[in-house]
Amino acid sequence: MYLSRIQLNPQRRDARRLLGSPQRLHAAVLASYPDAPTGALDGAPRVLWRLDVEPDARTFLYVVSPDRPDFAHLAEQAGWPSTERGTSKEYGPFLDRLAPGQRWAFRLTANPTQYVVPEHGGRAKRVAHVSVPHQEKWLTERAESAGFHIAMTPLPGVDSDVAAPVLRVTRRTTHQFSRRGADKPVTLAAAQFDGVLVVHDADVLRRTLIAGIGPGKAYGCGLLTLAPVS
Amino acid sequence: MTVLVLTLAGPLQAWGSESRFTTRATDDAPTKSGIVGLLAAAQGRRRSDSLEDYVGLRLGVRIDQPGRLLRDFQTARSLDGRQPMPLSYRYYREDARFLAVVHAEDSLLELFVDALRHPVFPLYLGRRSCPPAEPLVPRLLDAPLGMALRDEPWRAAPWWRRRCGDEPPMLEFRVDRGAAPELADRVDGSTVQRDEPVSFDPEHRQYGWRTVDLGSVPVPGAPAPAPSGVRLTHDPFEAVD
Repeated sequence: MYLSRIQLNPQRRDARRLLGSPQRLHAAVLASYPDAPTGALDGAPRVLWRLDVEPDARTFLYVVSPDRPDFAHLAEQAGWPSTERGTSKEYGPFLDRLAPGQRWAFRLTANPTQYVVPEHGGRAKRVAHVSVPHQEKWLTERAESAGFHIAMTPLPGVDSDVAAPVLRVTRRTTHQFSRRGADKPVTLAAAQFDGVLVVHDADVLRRTLIAGIGPGKAYGCGLLTLAPVS
Repeated sequence: MTVLVLTLAGPLQAWGSESRFTTRATDDAPTKSGIVGLLAAAQGRRRSDSLEDYVGLRLGVRIDQPGRLLRDFQTARSLDGRQPMPLSYRYYREDARFLAVVHAEDSLLELFVDALRHPVFPLYLGRRSCPPAEPLVPRLLDAPLGMALRDEPWRAAPWWRRRCGDEPPMLEFRVDRGAAPELADRVDGSTVQRDEPVSFDPEHRQYGWRTVDLGSVPVPGAPAPAPSGVRLTHDPFEAVD
């Protein structure tokens, strides 16, 4: 597995075209591989990507994939072709070091959804969680089966300290974009989570890191990344 | 020490202190001339009436919800429609909410409360076209002016509080110099502005200068700060080598 990153230049017209549509950006990411992996089974390694906009407005594309990507076309169309051509690192050694009890700062952009059965019967409908409390609850409930817990921190309360999860929704967006061959546009509610997690089951977490969390994986959702806790 | 506490809320407000000719600006907080005019209108004073008994009235305002600046390009014609009037730009604060605290003689403050509950002339927030959206809730408070500015509950609307999230902002205040010694350590600047009303008489309007202290106070009774340990930048490469 490889973890890769390339900084994109939003000043360029082609970059804006890509940043404006998860559909196009997904195609550009998959074009980084000679044999683009498609239709991965649930839980199997696949190409996951995420767009991070830092507070200073730098835009990074992160990709986790089974093969090493070649970002030449992205750098040429939407980056800085002569200086920034992206970096890729082996992800395996890091994954092997994961062990229960470790604390990591994490970031995840996900598409939190639930299934709602219509009142008068029929097929269940997938609808997005759009409020912060629901989105936080969605992730907290999934943490167990994804191999981690959200870290807790004491907060001064009225009588005694209260335990509060170290978790925040740092960005919420609703994308709407057209998809070739479909007459209706795709609507996708995405939430970016930042927080601290505690590793619970290292094997399960490894699978989560390479297979993603939740729906919308082709549209920049589901990629969880870890960084040292400061 | 008794003070009068008011809530100023409306979809549009306009508090100008230095407009000339066709550009009619608004400040980002209520002006003294605006508040004094409001009180005088409630009491039913005419523009040419004396303002002498208002001398010594002290004002403090707090920006509970700053709102946004709106520019209105205004055209007008004379009554018969033949003469165009000057084109003007009029500025407003949209969706703002303020707390105003007035200190004066106790007897005068009681008159104000009665007058605001049964105003003689229509009340408006700085400009005639800006009626208050809610009752001003005039209330007398037995506290120094600075304490009222610091401890009165946050007036912001629920949607604005939600937008502020876990980190309630600092609330800016503007107070007459020397009127709030309790907030001395919160003051971080001052300004002079010409909004001390001397006469509202349309024949010869007159405003004096006043020195205003600027500063900010935390939201009273704010919820606990957000959990620490969450960083805004995230670099997964720090962990991978």
